Amino acid sequence: MGGHSQRVIWTIGGGKGGSGKSFITTNIGVCLSKMGTRVILIDADLGGANLHTFLGILPPVPTLSDFIKKRVTQLHDLLIQTNIPNLKLLTGAQDLLNAADAKNVQKRKLLRSIKDLESDYILVDLGGGNALNVLDFFLMSDGGILVVTPEPTAIENTYRFLKSAFYRRLKQTVSSYSAKTLIDQTMDPKNEAGIQTPYDLFQEVKRINEEDGRRMMEEASKFHPNLILNQVRSKKDIEIGFSMRSACHQYFGIHLHYLGYIVFDQEVSNSIRKRKPLMVENDKSKAAQCLKEIAFRLAHSGSLDSFN
Amino acid sequence: MKRIEDQTYYELLEISPDATPKEIQQAYDRAKETFQLDSLAIYSLFPQEEVTKIQAAIEEAYRVLKDEELRRSYDQSCPHLFKHLSRAQQIHPPSEKLHEMKQGLSFTDISLEIKDIPYRGTSLKQLREQLGIDLKTIAAKTKINPRILESIENEELDRLPAPVYLKGFLKAYARVLNIDPQRLIEGYFQLFQERKKK
Ligand SMILES: Nc1ncnc2c1ncn2[C@@H]1O[C@H](COP(=O)(O)OP(=O)(O)OP(=O)(O)O)[C@@H](O)[C@H]1O
Ligand SMILES: [Mg+2]
Repeated sequence: MGGHSQRVIWTIGGGKGGSGKSFITTNIGVCLSKMGTRVILIDADLGGANLHTFLGILPPVPTLSDFIKKRVTQLHDLLIQTNIPNLKLLTGAQDLLNAADAKNVQKRKLLRSIKDLESDYILVDLGGGNALNVLDFFLMSDGGILVVTPEPTAIENTYRFLKSAFYRRLKQTVSSYSAKTLIDQTMDPKNEAGIQTPYDLFQEVKRINEEDGRRMMEEASKFHPNLILNQVRSKKDIEIGFSMRSACHQYFGIHLHYLGYIVFDQEVSNSIRKRKPLMVENDKSKAAQCLKEIAFRLAHSGSLDSFN
Repeated sequence: MKRIEDQTYYELLEISPDATPKEIQQAYDRAKETFQLDSLAIYSLFPQEEVTKIQAAIEEAYRVLKDEELRRSYDQSCPHLFKHLSRAQQIHPPSEKLHEMKQGLSFTDISLEIKDIPYRGTSLKQLREQLGIDLKTIAAKTKINPRILESIENEELDRLPAPVYLKGFLKAYARVLNIDPQRLIEGYFQLFQERKKK
């Protein structure tokens, strides 16, 4: 990952619609900017970009698609200053993620332009889907954050996203065609090879290509996605994060980093109705306290070797 | 990555080989909860037969580890278990452990104390640096002279204040990092004993 210890890109995605990704992205951004660091929020939600609403500003006119279509040459010129010092917004990244023909080179180029922006933190709201472009963005960032609520539907979606991201990453690591094919097959639960779990896959790949097997294991051990549990209502709910960590450890052999939880709090929707970030409207509320803890942990997570 | 069958009982329960009976109990309770058939945390992830296998493995691990006698003979049967507790690693705990500790930082009501890190000056420093907190911040929060903090971290025992004060300082420092003050004090004072013996 190299030397940019300052500029850190976090992507927020993976969860089911309505799990709280945009709310969390906005408010962690506000929190970090209040701590005196420069923050850029990027709205890359395919379905419904709405970070501007969380911030109480109008949908911006120049968007990232203008950059992609080369109407604007400097990404920098697309940034909108919000009402909060140190906090800027960039919208329209969905157009890029939407583009079916977005080649890897293009994605990397955009990512590089994003990384070149003057900021300490860049938070990207990926929205709820798991299109390949979304997965790639998640995997290319310094840290990917999954937002989940304590409900089976949300957890199911999160694991589906995690599996897709995990296998995509493995596929990018191996070199042999046969290993790539096996990985593709694994994603189909009724595959002919009878591969059920990542462990089965490792064994099978090791058998056909020792080197690829080794690489895959190594890559898996470096994959550290992050988890935020939102809308928790009890202590038991909080524990689900730890349990998911254990489950991921047993299933994928990966370390899922439990970043924290946010309680269900009526103040959240009150603030949204007022179109003000909770951290501005009511930073003493319970949910705001939880967000502060998470922001603190993000700011101090020196080990950003999570991806790459 | 290890298959269920290849994990030690300690790995299965995600505890260290020198875990106390209380820790074993807690770990078992959590593991049991996690891998119940209707547990949310495993929903849609594992095939059912895999869950049954994990459950059986957890029960077996608990049956052995909770019984002092059985645990001892299990430990003897796999001496490699304790290799990782060698002195060198105690001083430089694996980063994963610190990772966990960091995570415990503000999970106030469910903080995860990691037991096999010796609570010493050097490990304080390491933890602080991992958290990205500088000495000045600690000094500001604890109102302790940074030079004393430095001596605490560097274990310059002859430069430290009298034990009563030192205790207070260690307690304050521990609170900032959200680690157990009592264990830090005990660990630190053990240093004095060890140095005396030399
Ligand atoms: N901690 C919370 N307490 C109470 N309500 C919450 C909390 N978090 C989110 N909500 C509610 O959930 C709604 C959806 O949140 P948000 O728009 O952030 O979800 P999202 O994950 O971005 O959804 P989408 O995938 O559709 O973009 C919010 O309008 C808010 O009312
Ligand atoms: Mg959203």
